[in-house]
Amino acid sequence: MDKSIIAYFESSHDFPEEVVIAAKMTPYKILGEVRKPSETADQYLFKTFCPLARSILEEAFDESDQWAGIIVAHGCDATNRQYDIWKHHITTPFLYWFNTPMNDRKSAKKFFKEELKALVKALEEKFDLEITLDSIKRAIRLSNEIKSVLKELSNLRALKDISNSEYFETVKRAMLCDRTKALEELINTIPRWQSKPEFPSDKRRIVLTGSDITYREFMDILDRAGLRVVRDDLSIGERYFATQIPNKEDPLESLVLYHFNKPRPSTKHHANPRLDYLESIVNETKVDGIVSQNLKFCEPFAYDSVWIVNSFKEKGIPIIHLERDYTSKADHQLINRLEAFNEML
Amino acid sequence: MVQSETKEISQNSTSSQQKKIHIRTLKSNKYLKRLMACYFFKAKIYPKIPWKYTAWTTSAFPVEMLWTYDIFPLHPENSATVAAARKLSKGLIEYAEGLGFSRDLCSYFKTNIGAYDKKIRTTYGGIDKPDFICTTGTICDTHVKWFQTQGRRMNVPVFIFDLPHQVAGCDEKTLKRYENYIVDQFYEWNDFVYDITGKKLKKKRLENVVRKSDRLCQLWQEIYSYRKKKPSPLGFNDTFAQIFPLVILPGIDAGIKYYEKVLAEIKDLAAKGKGVVPNEKYRLLFEGIPFWYRIKFIFELAQLGASIVYEPYTWAFGPRKPLGLSADEYLHAFARMWLQQPYYYNLDRRIEYFKEVIDEYSIDGVILHNNMSCRPNSTGMLDLKKMIQREIGIPAIIIEADMNDPRAYTEAAIKTRIEGFIELLEANSK
Ligand code: SF4
Ligand code: SF4
Repeated sequence: MDKSIIAYFESSHDFPEEVVIAAKMTPYKILGEVRKPSETADQYLFKTFCPLARSILEEAFDESDQWAGIIVAHGCDATNRQYDIWKHHITTPFLYWFNTPMNDRKSAKKFFKEELKALVKALEEKFDLEITLDSIKRAIRLSNEIKSVLKELSNLRALKDISNSEYFETVKRAMLCDRTKALEELINTIPRWQSKPEFPSDKRRIVLTGSDITYREFMDILDRAGLRVVRDDLSIGERYFATQIPNKEDPLESLVLYHFNKPRPSTKHHANPRLDYLESIVNETKVDGIVSQNLKFCEPFAYDSVWIVNSFKEKGIPIIHLERDYTSKADHQLINRLEAFNEML
Repeated sequence: MVQSETKEISQNSTSSQQKKIHIRTLKSNKYLKRLMACYFFKAKIYPKIPWKYTAWTTSAFPVEMLWTYDIFPLHPENSATVAAARKLSKGLIEYAEGLGFSRDLCSYFKTNIGAYDKKIRTTYGGIDKPDFICTTGTICDTHVKWFQTQGRRMNVPVFIFDLPHQVAGCDEKTLKRYENYIVDQFYEWNDFVYDITGKKLKKKRLENVVRKSDRLCQLWQEIYSYRKKKPSPLGFNDTFAQIFPLVILPGIDAGIKYYEKVLAEIKDLAAKGKGVVPNEKYRLLFEGIPFWYRIKFIFELAQLGASIVYEPYTWAFGPRKPLGLSADEYLHAFARMWLQQPYYYNLDRRIEYFKEVIDEYSIDGVILHNNMSCRPNSTGMLDLKKMIQREIGIPAIIIEADMNDPRAYTEAAIKTRIEGFIELLEANSK
C-alpha cells in the first residue's frame, strides 16, 4: 500500500484536494478504466447505471489496497447512492463521505465550511497528523500554480497543433500524481508546446461540453473527425483550472469561495452559471462550433443538454449534441455524425 | 396515487388456474374520489385567481411547508401518474423525447413536459403554471433538474432545499451539522416565500398544519397495522391511491375524515377475517413505484393467490410529526425527520428496515422493481435481494420496468418471471 495516496470519487470537481495536499498526502482522482469491463462492480450496480461510476467502483475493487483511504464527494446521485455499496464491498482503512452543497446560497457556504472542518479533523484523527492553516495555505499556493500553468497550456490549444488527447492526458496526469512533481512536469511542457507547429488549417475549432470525458479515445475521435477542442468546461479540463483559489486570511474560507466560483457542473443549483461560462468562452475565443455530449445514463448532463443546445442555436452558434457509450472502441456512427457536423461548419 | 379500481381478471391471462377471483376495493374509496375531484377542481382554478398562490412541489418536500403559508400545492408527479393511468403517458413521453430529452431520463419528468406543453386537462394529468416551484434533491437529481428545466421554460422562480445525504455509518455529530444546514434553509425559504407572496411563517398556523398532518399519519399507520393480519384486509390496489391525502393534503381536515372512514371499514373487515385477496396464499412486499399504466399487475398477482401487503413506497409518506414545540424547535424536528425518511434510507438502514417489516408483516416473498426511470431507488437493490434470500430465506425477484413508460414493460418476460416466482414461493412454503 502507498501510505500517501488518498483516492477520491467525485462526479465533477467537488473535492477540495488542497486539504489532502496539506496533510502531505497525494490526492488521486479515481477515473475508472474504460478498457476493462466492470465485472465485479456489475454484481452490485445495474448495467443501466452510469458506466463511468461502475468503472470507478471497479477500479476501487482492483486498487483499493494501494490507497491509504478513499473519499467520496457528493456530486450526482451516483456518488451519494453508491457510497453505501463502497462501504459494504470495498476494503479500505478509511472511507469518508464528504458532503458538498448543491445550492449556492448563504447557508450553503456556511455548511461547506463546516464540512471542510470535519474533513480536516477526520484526516487528522485517522492518520495521526496535523493539518495546520499554514499547510493549507501552502497547498493552495501549489494548487494555484498548477492551475495557472494549466491555463497557460490550455491557451496554447487555439494557437498550436496540440492534439485533443495530448491536452487531455496532460490535465489528467496533474490530477493523479504528486502535485509538486506535476507542477514541474507542467512547467517543462510549456516550451515544448510553444515550439509546436501552428494550429492546423484543416481543423475546426470547437468547444467541448457535457459529461466529463475520462478517456483519451473520445478525444481522438474528435480529432479524427477534424475537430480540435480549443476550449471546454470539463472537470478534466477548464473546470479544474479556470479560476484561482482566492487568497484569504482563513484558507478554509478561500476553499469555500473557490468552490462556488469555479465553472459549475449540471449537478448544482443554480445551473445557469454553466451556460454563462460557455457563453463567455464563445465571446473570448474564436470557435467554429460546440460539441455537447452526455455519457449514456448520465442524467444531470442529459437534462441540461436540451437547454444548452437550444440556447446556442438561438444565437446562431453551431452546436451538436451526442449521447456516447462508455467505450474505447471507435463508434463509427458517432464519427459519422461528427464528420457531418464538421462539414456543416 | 391514481384512482383505484375493482377488477375481475380472467384467469387464463395470468395463470394455469381456471376460476375467476373477485378482488374488492374499499367502499370508503368513494370519499377519495370526491376528495380528488375537489382537489383537481381547485388545481384548475386557483392558478387563475390572482390572490391565490400555487406552487409545484415533489414528494420528499414537506408539503406542510406550503399549507403553512396557505399556498396550494400542485404536484407534477401525481399528475404524471394520472396521465399514465389514463394511458396517456406514452404519447407525452414521446413528445418530450421529440424535444431532445433522452430515453434514459425519468418518465415522470417527460410526462410532465408533454402534459404541460399540450395543456391537457388536470383530470387527465395536466397541470397549470404555478407562482413558483419548490423541490429538493433529497431523493434524486431528477427532482432538481426537472424543476430547474421547467422553472426556466415557464419563467417562474425555483427554490431548492439541499438535503445533505445521510450515507451508511453517519454519526450523530454529522447529522447535527446536516440538521443545522436544513434549518438555515428554512429561514431562506421563509424569505423566498415572503418575496413572492408577502406571507410570513405564522407559528399558530404551522402548529395547526403539523397537528393535522400528524393526525393523518397516525391514522395511516393504524390503517397500515391491519395489514399485519392474515389475511390482509388491505391491498396495494387500495393503498397506491389512498396515499393521495398524505402526499398532497396533509394539512387539511378532508383527508383526516376520509382516513377515519377507511380505518372503520378496515377494522370491520379485519374483525370478519376478510382478506383483500380471497384465499390469500402468499404475502408479498413490493419495493418501488407501481406501474401506473398497468395497475392490473396487482390483480393478476391476486389471481395467483398473492397479496401485496407492504410497500415501502406507500408507507414512506406517513411519518408521525412532533407536536407542542416552539417554532424553532419545529424546524429542527422537521429537519431531523426529513433526514430520516424511509424513502431514502441508506443501505444499512434499508436492510434493517426490510428485515423488520418482513418479520412484522409475515412476508413470504419480495418483488423489487428495478425502475428504468429511477436509478436512485434501484441502487442497492442487488444487495437487498441477496440479503433477503440469504439472511431471511424467502424468495425475491427483480422486475425491470418503468413506473410511467409502458414501453419498458415487457409482458411476456414479466409474466414468465412472476410465474417462476410463484413456484419459488410455493416451494418455499413447504
Ligand atoms: S458521468 Fe454523469 S452520472 Fe456518471 S458520475 Fe459523472 S455526473 Fe454522475
Ligand atoms: S421516479 Fe425516481 S427519478 Fe423520477 S422523480 Fe421519482 S424519485 Fe426521482
